[in-house]
Amino acid sequence: MDIFTLWLGWVLVGACGAAIVALAYARSALIAGEGAPAFVVGCGWFVGQFALTLWMRAQSAVGVPFGVASIGLPLLAVTALTAWLALRRNRGSIVALLRDAPRRFLGAGLVRRQRALWLALVAWIGIRLALLLLEVLRRPLYPWDAWTQWATKARVWFELRRMAPFVPLSDWLAAPAGSVYVDAAPHYPATVPLTQTWSATLLGRWDDALVNLPWWLSGVAFGLALYGCLRQLRFGALAALAGTWLVLSLPILDTHVALAGYADLAMAAYLTLAALSWLRFVQTREWPDLAIACVLSAACVTIKNPGIVWVAMLVPGIVTAWLPRRGRMLAAVAFAVAAAAALVLTETSVTILGYRLQLDYDMPWRGLFDAYLAYANWHLLFYGALAVTALGWRRLLQPEVAPFTIIVAFGVAFLLFGFAFTNARIWVEDQSTVNRATLHLAPLIVVWMMMAFRAWAEGLRNLDSPGDAVAPREGMMPPA
Amino acid sequence: MNHRDAIDDAATGAADAAAAAGATPAAAHQASAAAETHRRRDAWRVAVLFAVVLVACVGAYLAVTLPGAWFPGASPAAWGAKELVLARGTGRVQGGELIVSAPDASGVTLITVTSNLRASDYHGVAWVVAGLREDAEVRLLWRTDVQPGKLNLLPVRVESGRTLLIVITPKDQGWIGHVTGLALAIQGPLPQPVTVRGVIAKPMGAWETLADRFREWFAFEAWNGASINTVVGGAENQDVPMPAALAAVVAICVGIILLLRRWRPRAFVAAVPTIAVALFIAAWLLLDVRWTWNLARQERATALQYAGKTPHEKLLASSDAPLVAFLDKARAVLPSTPVRVLVAANADYFRERAAYHLYPHSVYARPRSNELPDPATLRAGDWVLVYQRLGIQFDRQHGKLRWDGHAPRDAELKLVEPGAALFVIR
Repeated sequence: MDIFTLWLGWVLVGACGAAIVALAYARSALIAGEGAPAFVVGCGWFVGQFALTLWMRAQSAVGVPFGVASIGLPLLAVTALTAWLALRRNRGSIVALLRDAPRRFLGAGLVRRQRALWLALVAWIGIRLALLLLEVLRRPLYPWDAWTQWATKARVWFELRRMAPFVPLSDWLAAPAGSVYVDAAPHYPATVPLTQTWSATLLGRWDDALVNLPWWLSGVAFGLALYGCLRQLRFGALAALAGTWLVLSLPILDTHVALAGYADLAMAAYLTLAALSWLRFVQTREWPDLAIACVLSAACVTIKNPGIVWVAMLVPGIVTAWLPRRGRMLAAVAFAVAAAAALVLTETSVTILGYRLQLDYDMPWRGLFDAYLAYANWHLLFYGALAVTALGWRRLLQPEVAPFTIIVAFGVAFLLFGFAFTNARIWVEDQSTVNRATLHLAPLIVVWMMMAFRAWAEGLRNLDSPGDAVAPREGMMPPA
Repeated sequence: MNHRDAIDDAATGAADAAAAAGATPAAAHQASAAAETHRRRDAWRVAVLFAVVLVACVGAYLAVTLPGAWFPGASPAAWGAKELVLARGTGRVQGGELIVSAPDASGVTLITVTSNLRASDYHGVAWVVAGLREDAEVRLLWRTDVQPGKLNLLPVRVESGRTLLIVITPKDQGWIGHVTGLALAIQGPLPQPVTVRGVIAKPMGAWETLADRFREWFAFEAWNGASINTVVGGAENQDVPMPAALAAVVAICVGIILLLRRWRPRAFVAAVPTIAVALFIAAWLLLDVRWTWNLARQERATALQYAGKTPHEKLLASSDAPLVAFLDKARAVLPSTPVRVLVAANADYFRERAAYHLYPHSVYARPRSNELPDPATLRAGDWVLVYQRLGIQFDRQHGKLRWDGHAPRDAELKLVEPGAALFVIR
């Protein structure tokens, strides 16, 4: 019974988010577009999860104890209200969307060979997700930071039914007995622990394994949202599913689902969806895109402390998309200014977000090679990225690809700067942080790779047949 | 979704063009059939090319790495832990492993084994050793019947605490005649016990080398403390990483296709990007099959350990069991309302783990440091939980608790077990 309540509680969170997203897009063309059901459900889950944690924060601030009813009933009311409003605004599209979703899931509309590939890929992803679900449901909290700095807070907040403060050790010693708590990272944000608190509240007990259900749900929802986003980027159904599979098959991402408890998976998902929402907003200039982009960006900041830097890394790409002509120049200037500022800062030995800057450049190449190219963390992601860069370098700055190129370039520069000029260097050499930090950017690298590859392939086609009157086909090729 | 392929294809393009140009249904059908034929032919050609390049790469790898004959007559010779002799140092054989706890007084650990190998038949020696320092100075030693008085040696590389295979080439002149004894020498102190499971002399033929690579790639990689940071993909030390090997094969295939298109444009009808992406996806899928297989094996291991157990039984089935058993007793003694608890343990793991299990008590466990605060900073009613921590003394007669040279505090012993205790400050 308790596990039923757990699932029901999380379905409610997802439904709440989906209803909010559906309401936001009720009058937008997106709701009737390709991949809309997957996007609404997937992106909605992340919006719902963030909304849940905001509500729990507010509840704790005003002194209402956590409980299934005190958290769940307001969520239920919001879900019902937003769903009703969304249906009122665009009943036809939303009903059609709900009606078509199962058919589309089974590959309806694809020709026979494509449908076979589609179903095979869906089944393959399904096997992966089933294995991960079993692991999440059975394995007690396992990785180190999960029980030294994330679930510590969740456990206390669940037991106390409020968000008790976590403080540094020195403050703990000085504070009145029992008024404050301490763990290995008391300054870490509350979003991720609050999701475990909600799981435990639904269960009515602390269960080291079941509290981690949101990690598996995040994996599934991220797949759905990413598929929807790739469809919006005008990839064919099969290509979008392949892109989704590329992301969901990354071993380090799967590990973060299976060995749940870290915030890196959530960081990667929110950052990717925030970036894609911002770029969509620049294209459509519609307020729902802006609103969703703002919500997801705000979530990034509250998931991990480096979230604010990651969100800042999106700005040059957004500017490039907004101002295609001057944007690339502005991005180049921003890059130069950021590089100069960073180099100046390294001379001060200042510590930012826990990273101590130092000027003695020493890139840990061997560690990077092992992490990205030798070990199994990323399958062939970085080989693919290097190949796309080499083959399609002339097209990386064409308007459709440039914003992605610039976001990825800034992200990679941020990572490499951190590895070369801060104490994070040793965490590359011992492989302790390099992959986790890269995970935040990896899904965007996949999207960029697909965009750049499509641009390169399209360029080759035009070279081969400049006067070809046949329209480009759907799928990896962009529409005319 | 329309009926067009997701993959660009010139032949299908022609069929589409025929249809678009208003050709008769028969002509359109003919064009479509031709496109299908071209597509199948391309698929076969690409598959054959992939296989040929794979075989060629394997051949090139063997040509570069094999130090002797490709198909030698000799079989690998192996010695287990029981046949090893710890000539210098302290240790014992336990569970099929020689566990060396300390070197001798001069700082040398020497493990020997008597052998009778024809040197020309064997070109590799693998000591199965774990627990070494990354900078450990390790050497392979051997004697032969040609120069019985001469001790030959070669340095041994260490990675991830393990010794790597030592390949003996014709340049290593002492490897002649019959090898009558092998030894492993470790210079310097051993911060942790070193385990030696045995030694294998390898002829290093083609099949054996390929089997070794295959074993490395498909070795089961169970979850461990580092898994959240890195997925190695098989054995920890690998001569050739599988992603790199597949990337090389794909790159060579694409290169050949580009060259073929220049000299024989009709060799492949499909566009280069189509073929490149198909090869890339195929290679990715191979890696993903390996990863999924590993996940399935891991899930089976997890099920054996945890399936059907309650949350508390799961903890008792984990490596935490002794700690959890003590904490169960401690929790029974501690007040039901949250109190301040100071956790003392030498190992970071036990300190942090005990803290986690004790929440929602307000637990103080210093991360990454064994240092404890001055007892004077504690208050009456605070608790101190000790688990495998040296340097804590309790004077039962006077009820005084002290640690690390600080002034003692009045305290009461509430629970004691071997290596663990619980006190309340008075």
